[in-house]
Amino acid sequence: MTNSREILPDVYWLYEEGPDRSGMIEAMEPIPDWYDPDDPVYIPQCAYLIDGAEHSLLFDTLSPASTEHVLAELDALLDEPLEYLVVSHPDVPHAGNAPAIMAEHGAELVAPRYGDDHELYRLDDALLVGEGDSIDLGSFVVDFHEATFLDAPVSLWMSERTEEMLFPVDWLGFPHHASEQLRFVDELEHDLDGTRLLQFHGRVLFWHQYVDVDKVQREIDRLKRYYDPAWILPSHGLVIRDDALAYMDQLKGVVEEIQRRERIGTLG
Amino acid sequence: MTDTTTIELTDDVRWINVCYPHEERHEHVSVYLIEHGDRSILIDSGSFYHRTDIRTRLERATGGDGIDAIVLSHSDYPHSGNISAFRDEWGEVELVASSGSPELQGLADARRCTIGGSLEVCGRRFSFIDPPLADRSHTTWIYDHGSEVLFTADGFGSYHEPGDCDTVSSGFDDGITETAIYEYHRHNLVWLRYVDPPKLRDALDEIFARYDVSFIAPIHGHPIHGDDRRQYCTRLLNAADRIASEHTVPETPD
Ligand SMILES: [Zn+2]
Ligand SMILES: [Zn+2]
Repeated sequence: MTNSREILPDVYWLYEEGPDRSGMIEAMEPIPDWYDPDDPVYIPQCAYLIDGAEHSLLFDTLSPASTEHVLAELDALLDEPLEYLVVSHPDVPHAGNAPAIMAEHGAELVAPRYGDDHELYRLDDALLVGEGDSIDLGSFVVDFHEATFLDAPVSLWMSERTEEMLFPVDWLGFPHHASEQLRFVDELEHDLDGTRLLQFHGRVLFWHQYVDVDKVQREIDRLKRYYDPAWILPSHGLVIRDDALAYMDQLKGVVEEIQRRERIGTLG
Repeated sequence: MTDTTTIELTDDVRWINVCYPHEERHEHVSVYLIEHGDRSILIDSGSFYHRTDIRTRLERATGGDGIDAIVLSHSDYPHSGNISAFRDEWGEVELVASSGSPELQGLADARRCTIGGSLEVCGRRFSFIDPPLADRSHTTWIYDHGSEVLFTADGFGSYHEPGDCDTVSSGFDDGITETAIYEYHRHNLVWLRYVDPPKLRDALDEIFARYDVSFIAPIHGHPIHGDDRRQYCTRLLNAADRIASEHTVPETPD
């Protein structure tokens, strides 16, 4: 099921819950105190729609399990056809509805210039962007960046100037309860703690097992200085609009914890 | 003219090598065919870009019967691009994949293999290994007990010169070069910027202590004969060290 929330005037959070992941949390030792066995656990797919004064832009597409839903959301939220479709990386749960959206809206496809296999992802005709490129939507301006913590080589991150938003894609994701769907992190009853961040990063960015921890921690500090975001809009978590730097900082401890453990599992 | 040859690695494993040309070098985007009695099992399905070529070679290699199963390392498009086409072509093709949420990956009817577990596919035993060299979370390495070939998805790749498309590691005078290994991993496993090479080495050693390997069979590189494994691993760790040292991160100011 998909639904959405207007998180700022003309900025929409499109949400797909995916399967119940309770088993992941039940396997934890100890079971974290935020967990309620009667409330399903989701690690969602999120896409973000910015309906600027002049142009509209969708960041990611949700998974192929939500094709009809994402098309219906776009119809409901936009008066005109979508103009820019940005795919953060050509991973199925992020980009899987790009063909359907393009067919319906005729939007300009925007893709990362990083990596060297664009043709194999059918991205060779896309507008390829990276660090230094931006799109002015009127009332919002988005900037594109080389992704720092990523999976696929053909990847980008995005930020937005007016509201100081950072879209870090597969970084800063985390599970949440069904009752917490589409809430901001500051609206949760329980703090977003390291147990949630560990479950996501230990699985999705599993390569943290093999890294130089100090180097990754310094990279996180560099990202804090470089982006200094007011908002964090992750692709697999809830939106952060308060104390964003503190959550980025929390990842430093999570990387240490990933190294202390065996691999905790996979996702996707 | 379409190339209809396949390259025999072991009695029952064939390399179906197709390439994607970069500026000066090629990148393999291969698949592998396992013959098990009268059944044929394909490891990954390749890219849509090579569909006709792979289909023609499979047709030839299987005497027109086509394949019975696809075991998929991960859903990345260059690996999964021909699943529907081959199923349309040959009917009843079983799909085995490690994805825990196949509907999100567009693989709704896949039979699940668990990373760390084993399964029989067409009566042949495969084990699924947590890969230290991968990018997507649900990637699995696939070990074929019958042939002792380890299929390593995006790990153990290398770029190659246009004349070396058909070469197995033992066909080079001095093995696969460190440069070719470095170039491939730098472009494709970007997280190696942060790698601590001894941690990677330990994870690889653990796998090779557990599994005897006749060939390492990457999708994006030359198959590596078991006798060449140590040399490749030494060069790989050197390449990883170089990738990490080329990415510097400033000290945090006080
Ligand atoms: Zn690949
Ligand atoms: Zn070639």
